[in-house]
Order: sequence, then C-alpha cells, then structure tokens
Amino acid sequence: MNRKYELVYVVSPDATDDQVTDLHTQVEAIVQRLGGQIEKTENWGRRRLAYEIGRHKEGTYVLELINGSGELMKEIDRRLKVSDLVIRQLVVRIDEVQEVIERTRSKRSEGSRRRRIARGLPPDRAPGEGQRGDSDDDRDDRFDLSEDMR
Amino acid sequence: MNGRKSFGGGGSSSSGGGGGRGGRAGQNAQTGKDGQQRRPMFRRRKVCKFCADKIDDINYKDTRLLMPFVPERAKILPRRISGTCALHQRKLRVAILRARQLALIPYTAE
Repeated sequence: MNRKYELVYVVSPDATDDQVTDLHTQVEAIVQRLGGQIEKTENWGRRRLAYEIGRHKEGTYVLELINGSGELMKEIDRRLKVSDLVIRQLVVRIDEVQEVIERTRSKRSEGSRRRRIARGLPPDRAPGEGQRGDSDDDRDDRFDLSEDMR
Repeated sequence: MNGRKSFGGGGSSSSGGGGGRGGRAGQNAQTGKDGQQRRPMFRRRKVCKFCADKIDDINYKDTRLLMPFVPERAKILPRRISGTCALHQRKLRVAILRARQLALIPYTAE
C-alpha cells in the first residue's frame, strides 16, 4: 500500500548543521530499508518557536515528503521520538486530502468553463478579466509571526 | 489586537447598530408606528474567506493564512465572528491544531 505522507520535525537549536543532515540521512535510510522513497526535502532553517519547548525558543524545521507504507511512517515516528535532538515531529497523510483538493479545483474550473460557454464566451478567462481587486483583508498586518510570539 | 479589530469589525459595528436601534425605537414609540421600522440595523454580511478567495487547501504550514483566525489570546476565532462556513471552519480547526503542535502558532498568549 503506497501512500503519501508529510513529515515535519523540529530539531533542537543546539544541533549543528551536520547533525541536521545526519538526521536526514537516518530518515532516508529507514525509508529505503522499508521500501519507500523520499519525494522532496525542504529545510525551513531556523525559526522562532511559537512557545518554548523545554527551554528552547528556536528550532530548525525540516519537511520531508515520503511515499511509503504506514509501517514505515510508524518506524520513523518512533525513531524521531527516541532521538534527543528532535523536539517535535508531525506525520500527516496527504494523498487523500490532495485528491479532494484536486477534485474541487477541477470541478470548479469545469463549472466555470461550462457557464462561460453557455454565455457565449471563450472557455478560459483572459488574463486580468473579472479579477477581484485587492481588498483590505490582504493588507492585514497581523501576519508577522515573530512579533506575535512574545 | 489588530486582528481582533479587523474581524471584530462586524461585532463592534453591530453593537453600534444596536445602540442606533435603541434610539430609533424610542422615536418610533413617539411617532406611534412601531412595527415596520423596527430594525434599520445594518450588519455587514459576513462571507467565508476561504469560499470567497477560493482557497481549497487550508494547510497547517501556512501561518500567514492561519494567524488572522487566532487573535490575541490565540484562541480559534468562532464562526459567528469570522463568518467562515462550516466546512472551512472544520478544516481550519484541524490546520490550527497541527500548526500548534509544531509550535508554528501559539496555544495561548502569556
């Protein structure tokens, strides 16, 4: 059973870059051993935590997209829990959600195409046609995460 | 504080409207026609942000999207204030819970 998972883990700020990459290779090794593959790895770098974990105020976030079985993810989760360097981890299954998103998206665009044809317009929107202007909500200044932390 | 203001805009204006209504009700009682003009209260109709902007994916990694829904005390903004539809509020809730777990969003403000 091949499923898609998303793994995010937060590495303690005391860890060196080498230790972070080392952790990544460990994860990779487990994935390969249990017959999965890593689709993508993203290092978000050092970020401020929204709240203190232990006594840490910062952490290095790493995101991995993994194809594999539930057993595989269980093993990775277990290993990360044991590791002292990892202060938080989250595994989320994403294939089903992505499907739903894809479906709603195609449904919407199809619906709009059908309606446009019914109105005698070309099926695709010309760039800039009927776009909503920027509303006030777009300039909400509460987006800055780091300021909100304290 | 700001986020509260932007979303509480509906709330505060409604309370202002309520005051206005009280005043007018008094007028109406004087003029004698009470029934028809009971409610000249304007409340901005709230629209689900996710429906309006066609955001399909409420992702826990997108803190920029989530932050306006956890004002001040970092509690999840209720539907009755934000106007989010039931479907999207459920998705939003899950996203916020996940983001909290990863310390992307606070559980509470000190």
